[in-house]
Amino acid sequence: MNARRLRIIAVTAISFVFLLAWAFPILWSVLNSLKADQDVLAYPPKLIFTPTLDAYRDVLFGSQSILPNLISSLVISVGTTVITMLMAVPAAYALARLRFRAKKFAGFYVLATQMLPPVGIIIPYFLVLRNIGWIDTYQGIILIYLSFSLPFAIWLLVSYFEDIPFEMEEAAYLDGASRLRTLWRIIIPQVRGGIAVTIVFVFLNAWNEFLFAVVLSGNTVRPVTVAMFNFVSVEQTLWAKLAAVSVLAMLPVVVLGIFAQKHIVKGLTLGAVKGGGRR
Amino acid sequence: MPTAAQITPDLAAGIVEHDFGRELAQRERRFAAALLAPAFLALMATTTFPLLCLVYTSAFRMDLAMPFSNGFVGFENYRVLLADERFWSSLLVSLVYTGSTVILQVVIGLALALLVMDMKRGQGLFRLIAILPVVLSPAVVGMIWRTFMLAPEFGIVDFLSINAGLGSQNWLGDPLLATVSVILIHTWQWTPFAFMVLLASLAALPEDIYEAARLDRASAWQRFRRITLPLLRPAIVMVIIMRTMVALTAFAAIFTVTGGGPGTATEILNLYAYRKSFTELSIGYGSVLAVALLIVTIIVSGILFALRRAK
Repeated sequence: MNARRLRIIAVTAISFVFLLAWAFPILWSVLNSLKADQDVLAYPPKLIFTPTLDAYRDVLFGSQSILPNLISSLVISVGTTVITMLMAVPAAYALARLRFRAKKFAGFYVLATQMLPPVGIIIPYFLVLRNIGWIDTYQGIILIYLSFSLPFAIWLLVSYFEDIPFEMEEAAYLDGASRLRTLWRIIIPQVRGGIAVTIVFVFLNAWNEFLFAVVLSGNTVRPVTVAMFNFVSVEQTLWAKLAAVSVLAMLPVVVLGIFAQKHIVKGLTLGAVKGGGRR
Repeated sequence: MPTAAQITPDLAAGIVEHDFGRELAQRERRFAAALLAPAFLALMATTTFPLLCLVYTSAFRMDLAMPFSNGFVGFENYRVLLADERFWSSLLVSLVYTGSTVILQVVIGLALALLVMDMKRGQGLFRLIAILPVVLSPAVVGMIWRTFMLAPEFGIVDFLSINAGLGSQNWLGDPLLATVSVILIHTWQWTPFAFMVLLASLAALPEDIYEAARLDRASAWQRFRRITLPLLRPAIVMVIIMRTMVALTAFAAIFTVTGGGPGTATEILNLYAYRKSFTELSIGYGSVLAVALLIVTIIVSGILFALRRAK
């Protein structure tokens, strides 16, 4: 009995350490974002202090406001999500359900496009966009985001389309419904859940993207992941403000992550079967 | 295939069933083509077209800082690549970074999944916390670690190190420590992923095999070695494949933390290609580095998929 109790204590302790290790950096940023400047720099680090929203007020409405960058991130993410879904839903349905020549090849092609290292895509893309004046524009960034969001969304959606019983479509055809009508009225309502999960993932990946954003952004369009750098420089790091910006950048994805918690394992698994998210 | 039941009697009277079937199949093909066209055009424009451009530019000397010296050089860039020590060093860093992060993620993730699987309470909390690092942007993760965790005499890790009697360390300024740091940051962010996938696979294993093993008085280690590990193998291999691909092309978390430094100590091949192209503005040679990364990716994934097929 004694050995058993020891075991339980050990297991609890180890799991607690890991929980803390994962949660701490995030919690610590939240705490620092609520500190006044002298509290952030205090040594030893302060766990108890008078919280203030000064840092948030400064980064949102101060002279170095990141509000435009948050808007940039939002426009890019929503734009990418909408366009991706409009293209991916029909394509995924065709790949999951219809019979046509070269279907295997089409599936493989979608998979293979994910093998391309992002840096290999951005070099030529940068040259092309520079020539047509699309650097620092929403259309330039959203277009290239399709390179990773489309294959991901198509593969995730295919798995949901494959779960619907064939009988439903057949019944609709027998009633004389056209293919498009069947897809829109019968099939799509069946995969609402899958579509919602896909939307969450596409939005997450677009919000978090960095490499393409850092190359293609400028003074007009600069998402928050890139704008963060304004708060760290060689001479001086604005600690509390940097913490506040990090928290603001994390907030939407953490909320989405907790909200879609149950589906996230499935999405992560499928999403990367082909070769990886954009990390 | 359409069956006779699908054809109304008056239609069937006019047409031979075979032709009708063929027409249906043709209509299905056209419908499929219409549905696939937008997505495939976009994919070709954003992936295949850049790839062809990349191979093309890799045959040029294309220096944005010195445009007068630009021109076609054939395989010259590739010849330079093979003699480029910085390339070989970045390739080595890539392989070390990828190998160590993937091994750490799988080992820690599996151990934790086994641990949590036996917990009666608190599983939900684990799942909730594990989601957090995974959904964050690697750029934000890198920034948080660089500042609030690792900054000398300010970050928590340094604080712990001082209190443990190890003294303040230059976590990101020393070549070895910086390499360890970027490896641990990546491991911190992505171990929860391996953990979640393996936990889900563990939960799906059949209970009765374990009952039988217990009746046969198999030890915990034997049960793990002989039952759990073989049954979990497909999931583990899948996690390895997925994480390897991501680690090979990791960018943001290293870029924000060390920028590849000190010197080129943490410069993985991906980062070298970026720096060459966008910091040093040598687009032609940067393209060759990106092509090299693509080849490495293809070789590594080939090995991993062979591993998956092997029994």
